[in-house]
Amino acid sequence: VSEPADPALREGAGGTMDHLDEMTCLLYAERQLDRGRAQAVSAHAEDCMQCRTLLRALDREARLLTRAMLEEDEPLPSRLAEFQERARKSFGWIWGVVFGLAATGVYALYTQMVEPWQARLEQAGFGGTSLLSLLVFQGAFWKGWQSMITLLEVLAMLTVAGFGVVLFRKRLRRGSALALVLAGLCAALALPLTTGATEFRNAQAGTAEVRQGETIKGDIYLSGERVRIEGTVEGDVYAAGKEVDIDGHVTGDVISGCRSLRVLGQVDGNVRTAGNFGMISGTVGKNVTWFGDSVSVDSAGKVGGTVTMFGDNLTIDGHLGRDILFFGNEVNVNGVIGGGIRQKGESMILGSSAQVDGPIRFEGKNPANVASGAKLAFPVEFTKAQQESQYKQGHYYLWRVIWTAAFVLFGMVLFLLMPKFASEAAAAGERFGAPIGLGVLVFFGVPIAAIIASITVVGIPLGILTLSLWILTLFCAEIVVGTAVGNWIMGKPVDTWGLIGRMTVGFVLVRIVYTPLAHIHVVGSLVGLGIWMWGMGAISLALYSRLAPKVSQAGMPIPPVPLPAQTTIA
Amino acid sequence: MEIFSKLWEGKLSQYDETRSFSAWLYRVAANHCWDILRRRKIRQDKETEDVDEVPLEHPDPNQLDRLIEQKTSEEVRHALQKLGARARMALVLRYYSDMSYDEIADALGVRRAFVGVVLLRARHELRQALEGKSALAAGGTT
Repeated sequence: VSEPADPALREGAGGTMDHLDEMTCLLYAERQLDRGRAQAVSAHAEDCMQCRTLLRALDREARLLTRAMLEEDEPLPSRLAEFQERARKSFGWIWGVVFGLAATGVYALYTQMVEPWQARLEQAGFGGTSLLSLLVFQGAFWKGWQSMITLLEVLAMLTVAGFGVVLFRKRLRRGSALALVLAGLCAALALPLTTGATEFRNAQAGTAEVRQGETIKGDIYLSGERVRIEGTVEGDVYAAGKEVDIDGHVTGDVISGCRSLRVLGQVDGNVRTAGNFGMISGTVGKNVTWFGDSVSVDSAGKVGGTVTMFGDNLTIDGHLGRDILFFGNEVNVNGVIGGGIRQKGESMILGSSAQVDGPIRFEGKNPANVASGAKLAFPVEFTKAQQESQYKQGHYYLWRVIWTAAFVLFGMVLFLLMPKFASEAAAAGERFGAPIGLGVLVFFGVPIAAIIASITVVGIPLGILTLSLWILTLFCAEIVVGTAVGNWIMGKPVDTWGLIGRMTVGFVLVRIVYTPLAHIHVVGSLVGLGIWMWGMGAISLALYSRLAPKVSQAGMPIPPVPLPAQTTIA
Repeated sequence: MEIFSKLWEGKLSQYDETRSFSAWLYRVAANHCWDILRRRKIRQDKETEDVDEVPLEHPDPNQLDRLIEQKTSEEVRHALQKLGARARMALVLRYYSDMSYDEIADALGVRRAFVGVVLLRARHELRQALEGKSALAAGGTT
């Protein structure tokens, strides 16, 4: 048996050009050559296409061998393995289909949800430049957003930011990146502060108030057990407290988070609140937006614009200038409504003194209860809610497929952006117990913490950031669970594309199993919650593993703290 | 099982702690297997050493690239079953167990400088098997 030949060149076909021999190529591909010879091989391969092809082929052969032998360990039926191989080879058209379906999903999202919503809200008198600006930015922190931000601008900004992150993610350390984001957020929030004089009043457990006869020029932030405005505010009011009473005059908007809000005085702008109970006995010049239990517009109350509510109960005994848009349980009207009503909920009651000048559309379980004396410009258009039969329709499944493809694409983008974190999250998901336990904590704990943080003005950006991350995690949860299931079935992936393949298989399987279960009354909700918690827990666990300080591997004992002399231990 | 009982019966005391345990274990296992095969009077020489004497044909890079592109993991696993014991073991040690050349040399009982040759011959055998030719004829087509 001869010794292996030294890295050498062999004469090519026809003696025209020398090529590297295969042994040299193998040793080079396996990093077994010394530095000098490796450099010579590298230089030759740069100029020689044939040797470059050979090096690439040898490398691919090694990877094929590793993959083949690793997959042998996997509890994957051979048919599925073959299918996976075929799918790998047909990657081009598979991703083409996925992209196509995802694009359809995005288009559907816009045409079926975003656009109609935008139209409805604009019809309801909000008049925002876009849905996003309306929901997120309008008047909440800085009024300039409203004129500046459109959906396209936001998308463009996000795209640029995304590219920036991808370009610089290797150069930015985690801490500095986080600091940059927070600094940017703080800068954005600091901007409105420079636009006008803003006052802060914090009374902790007492009453934060604007006294009678007092006039505030500019915006005011108030927080306390009780918030009371008896004077005049020539600007916006931001209020956080258990009880918020507005007896005076606010020329701008009122934005509040509270248990109860009473408007006895006059608000020229909008009232936007997240709270339990709202009572409007005074006047609101523009619109009311409410996230919470119940709102009542008294017989003396007057709202110039619209009422948009996501909650339990809405009672209108007074006067409403324009429309009602309601998602919740019950609407009870005994007053005058200048526009129409659009409701999705349980019941609608139109009393004998009700007057509705616009169209009424109601989707619920039972038809609206209309008293004989009610004056309606249009008859009630009633649509019976058909939640149960949804799964019997063909297009339901078609849309499930489209949304599945959209999620797979979303997951793929995330995995390509953060391959290491994705595999860590999937690995954490495979531990079952710990992620589910942590998931319960994160699922319920984080929103509560975010709301608590938002009570104070300083904590609002932190609360919003936390809540945004929580929502993002919620969207990613199913993808992580899919990946964990994929890994469980097909074994550990070799590279990122292997992980993406497993995510796809696992995600589709989870969807197939979950789709019929989702229609079983309690089981569907429980399984859905379980998937969310499992996925959120896995992501949180992976995050924790990254951020937690590393324990020393050396196992060095911690030296005891020396006690001062003359110390007596009882 | 037999290998572990051998270890239990005293072989473990021969382990040199300065060297890699896994490589040593592979070597014990390999030697044990060779003993069994020898006892069965199977001519391992024909399978391995005789073939080693034959020079290897330089592959056409494009053809090799196409061959790898076409083959699935399943087919590679089938082809691996057709290889000689030594070739299969070399490939398994390198591409599955991710052993270094030193460890493979130790496990196979050959000089380190010879590991590349063993691996290259094993790959040639594998290619022949993938193309449907006899594994024993691998490498001998100059």
